[in-house]
Amino acid sequence: MDWLFWAPVMCAGVVTGASTGLLGGYIVGMRIPFLGICVAHAALAGAVFGALCGLTGPSLLVPALAAASISAVAVGLVDPQTVRMDLNVMLGILFSLMMGLAFLGLGLFSVYGVSDNEVRNLLWGSLAFCRWRDVWIMVASAAAELIFVVVFYKEMRAILFSRTHAAAAGVHATLVWTLFLLVASLVLTVNFQTVGGLMIYSLLANPAVAASQLVRGCGRTLVVSAALGAASGLGGLWISAATDLPTGAVIVIVSSLLVVLAIAWKRAWKRGESHVSGEGA
Amino acid sequence: MSAAAIEIDGLSVTRGGRTILAVERLAVDAGEVLGVLGPNGAGKTTLLKCATGMIRPSSGSIRVLGHPVGRLGPIGLARLRRRVALLAQILAPGGEMPLTLREVVSIGRTGRAGLLRPLSRHDWRLVDQWIEHLGLRELARQPYGLLSGGEQRKALLAMAMVQEPEILLLDEPTANLDAYWREQIVATLGDLHRKGNLTIVLVCHDLETLPAGTHRVLVLRAGRVVAQGTGAEVLTHERIEDLYGPGLTVLRREGRWLLAPHGAGGCR
Repeated sequence: MDWLFWAPVMCAGVVTGASTGLLGGYIVGMRIPFLGICVAHAALAGAVFGALCGLTGPSLLVPALAAASISAVAVGLVDPQTVRMDLNVMLGILFSLMMGLAFLGLGLFSVYGVSDNEVRNLLWGSLAFCRWRDVWIMVASAAAELIFVVVFYKEMRAILFSRTHAAAAGVHATLVWTLFLLVASLVLTVNFQTVGGLMIYSLLANPAVAASQLVRGCGRTLVVSAALGAASGLGGLWISAATDLPTGAVIVIVSSLLVVLAIAWKRAWKRGESHVSGEGA
Repeated sequence: MSAAAIEIDGLSVTRGGRTILAVERLAVDAGEVLGVLGPNGAGKTTLLKCATGMIRPSSGSIRVLGHPVGRLGPIGLARLRRRVALLAQILAPGGEMPLTLREVVSIGRTGRAGLLRPLSRHDWRLVDQWIEHLGLRELARQPYGLLSGGEQRKALLAMAMVQEPEILLLDEPTANLDAYWREQIVATLGDLHRKGNLTIVLVCHDLETLPAGTHRVLVLRAGRVVAQGTGAEVLTHERIEDLYGPGLTVLRREGRWLLAPHGAGGCR
């Protein structure tokens, strides 16, 4: 294994897995996993139009982040009770709009006779070609996410239970929810550039689902979700490096296997618990 | 009792071209216990939601603790809601996150603690006291989603109580509860009112839920106030028949009210 090549890739895998795993704890906790893929596609649409305007490389992050933030804030400011529409339905509409815009932009590349290779990579990601500069950007976004989680821990715990109940108890639910969406759009956009839209969805959902099977309580679930996300990223990359299998696919499979193992462990533990209580009786 | 805790003037709420609540004038004094009765769709829940600013009225005004609810911005509304606890009729399903019962109850302290401040030892002590008081200690570390409907109802009541509110708005607080816990909660409400001068607005279908110290009863039908006054003035046989149809009568025992089939006694 060429460590000089794999070291930044492995670090990126750990940071991406941990930060999306932590974010997934909230997103899955609120039963809105569609938010991840919706914001990721808004970032893709932003990057596509940025590329059409002549931007390349890391500068594509700017239009991607702008589009992701605008879509996230739009979701945050619309009150589902006022528009009488479930949040997941709203996200579905926004997702289809963003996907439509992204593919419209991709179509315009051929109209203008420009290569669309760079933006097409965003769909699938390019984790195996990640360099230290990318890792530092990921670390910065993960740090911003961690600060948000620590500062607004109790408010987000209330929102995780129910935005309506949190607001009724005098929590600044709309403000904190909108800030969360901005942080989510930052984390998703930064990681989306390296891991791609498809892998980010599995890293958001799978570690969080596995964590909710293993532990109770908000803090523990978030920590375990982040740890399982990091394990998915590192484990997947390790297997990929050792076997030459496609990196993204292996990471997705590893994170899915963690869910299966967590469910199996929970069932076995429950069976053992009922067996012990049966013996006691 | 002193100044009005809640004052309503020409309040009207319209949804889809239909007026779902129209209250010309209503004042709930500080320290008063007001029972709100009425058939389904009478506007009882809408009245409570207006008082917390969760529904903006189409016209008129509602002042809570001296604040015009309809004109408050998000910050003013959040501040007011910390002083007014609402126990909703519909149980919150909770999310996918396995929040423990203790964490759910602590939501009642979250707004009061304010932004950028963690919950203090005093906050957690209050949370644990109410968990103990409502007989939930054994379940404190259990995920909220695994609790029964009655246990969830008690958890949400504890969440409202840890807010230490000045006004308590209860929407069918004893739904899903067995008779033992219904009586415990009615007794708790009576104690709270006696000790803390708490204003209570209690929406219910079962008259048994009204504590003995209920000062006034308000009856809504199709969004309009059809009667208000003391229990003895309002809860007549004719009124009960008008609200719930024939076959039921109202009984009074030691200051409490209950509905029973005809022939089970009568007003005393």
